[in-house]
Amino acid sequence: MTPKILNKIEKEEILKILNEQFGIEKINGMLLTNNYEKFFIYQGSFKEEEISKIEKAIPIEKIGIYFAKVEVNKENKKRIRLSIEGSQIMKNQITKNIFELNEEQVKDWLKGNEILLNDNLKVNKDINKSDLENTQTIRVGDAVSLGGGRWWDLGFVIITHKGDFFGTGKASENKISNFIPKSRRLKK
Amino acid sequence: MKLKKIVLKPLLIERMKKLLNPSDLGRFKKVIEKPPQNSIRCNTLKINPEKLKEKLINKGWKIKQPFKDYPEIMIIEGKFSEKEPIISHIGVGGRGKEGGKNLILLEPGELGNSLEHLLGYYYVQDIASMLSIIALKPNKNEIILDLCASPGSKTTQIAAKVENTGTIIANDLSISRLQILSANLERCGVTNTIITRKDAIKFCEQVKKTGILFDKILLDAPCSGEGTLRSSYRTSLMWNSNTIKSLSKLQKKMFKNAFEILKPQGEIVYSTCTHAPEENEEVVDFALKEFKGKIKIEKINLPLKTRKGIIEWSSNYLNHLRVGGWGKEGGTDKKFSKEVEKSCRIYPHDNNTEGFFVAKLKKIK
Repeated sequence: MTPKILNKIEKEEILKILNEQFGIEKINGMLLTNNYEKFFIYQGSFKEEEISKIEKAIPIEKIGIYFAKVEVNKENKKRIRLSIEGSQIMKNQITKNIFELNEEQVKDWLKGNEILLNDNLKVNKDINKSDLENTQTIRVGDAVSLGGGRWWDLGFVIITHKGDFFGTGKASENKISNFIPKSRRLKK
Repeated sequence: MKLKKIVLKPLLIERMKKLLNPSDLGRFKKVIEKPPQNSIRCNTLKINPEKLKEKLINKGWKIKQPFKDYPEIMIIEGKFSEKEPIISHIGVGGRGKEGGKNLILLEPGELGNSLEHLLGYYYVQDIASMLSIIALKPNKNEIILDLCASPGSKTTQIAAKVENTGTIIANDLSISRLQILSANLERCGVTNTIITRKDAIKFCEQVKKTGILFDKILLDAPCSGEGTLRSSYRTSLMWNSNTIKSLSKLQKKMFKNAFEILKPQGEIVYSTCTHAPEENEEVVDFALKEFKGKIKIEKINLPLKTRKGIIEWSSNYLNHLRVGGWGKEGGTDKKFSKEVEKSCRIYPHDNNTEGFFVAKLKKIK
């Protein structure tokens, strides 16, 4: 089944959530979905008419790549989990809710393990993008203002390490849950 | 790593004798016994070659960039270890010691299980297999067809060259192969591609009806795989001359149909990973005759040692083999257009790669 191309209003709704969560201001390209849960991004030159022409002649298996998944939280609010590639495509725009792994946590994360948090956790309200390259600090942006002091209420955080983007994790009081798919995990 | 000894079938040896002089044949036989070198292509959609090189060096890997004009192509010569002893050879070049550290081989699977690979910073690909896209020279904003795209090494290479602009249609037939293609496109962050599933010939027939034409087409055709003996032990077991004949027919049909959906002035690269002339020069010769006046073959510059396409091929070797019970049928002498010499043959012993064949043709009308 060829995925449906999101219309302007639907795309804006996704962008609004991404802006709220991660500070993203623009999505270049088409967003597509099969079920309004998983979203794909296509940044090629074909317009809807050309895709439709192809589709009439040949079964289309996939357009673009997996970008994000929308989940509904306990407060019945839509929240977005960016895929690894989603976070990499958007990396220059992501300004908040970033969790910077330390050296030891990177391998653990890529093995698919959750990250247990301890006293080393620091909460910073302002994220300086240029710091990302060098910092070892664990941080969660906008935590105080949005979570009423409880940063984990934010849920999804972008996982990074020295400029590498690893997709999204889900923050709770003591841990960050991992969504790295099995096929993308380190094997030992 | 213990390697299975490759035993070439007598008929394949006879055929290779016709393509190579005795000294080359000896080198050919020697090199196919050795594992292929670890070559990767930096995925410039995600990281630049200098940054990747730095990351890999920091892991302790020894990196070589063999071509100045293609810094994205890298060879992993091994890794440095203070503890472990030197094991066997490093690539073909031997063993080494640098700065008091031993240079050892990467472990099996290590290249595909690194953080950088999982993040899509590089693609593990033999250098010979990168040549089709170097020949194709895709430009930004072009509409490009990769007709037999799985597993996606060349699709991802095109996407990197055009920086995710234009559109690539990546087609293949098998569902399982399409899944691998899809996973590779995702890992490499390829966002300009539409994946379709159709038999290559039917794909072209159907697309022709839509009026959509392509600026560039890659026909990296299914083949007997004689060039992949170093990495695929099974190929030496499965090889037989009847397959070559039927593949040659299929490849000609594929080319004929693909050419129909190429834009005027558009270019098509035909490549295989086999040495069999029936699947290579014979297909190119067929294309030049079939589309006489509408097609021309182009000269291609590749960054390693290549040999001209052959213009004569005789498969009469079967006559004497028949006495020994190997062959069933007689062969014929074939003469190809002199233009076919513009095709490039890549032998494993010339560059320490896999074997390959590549030709570039242009639709002039």
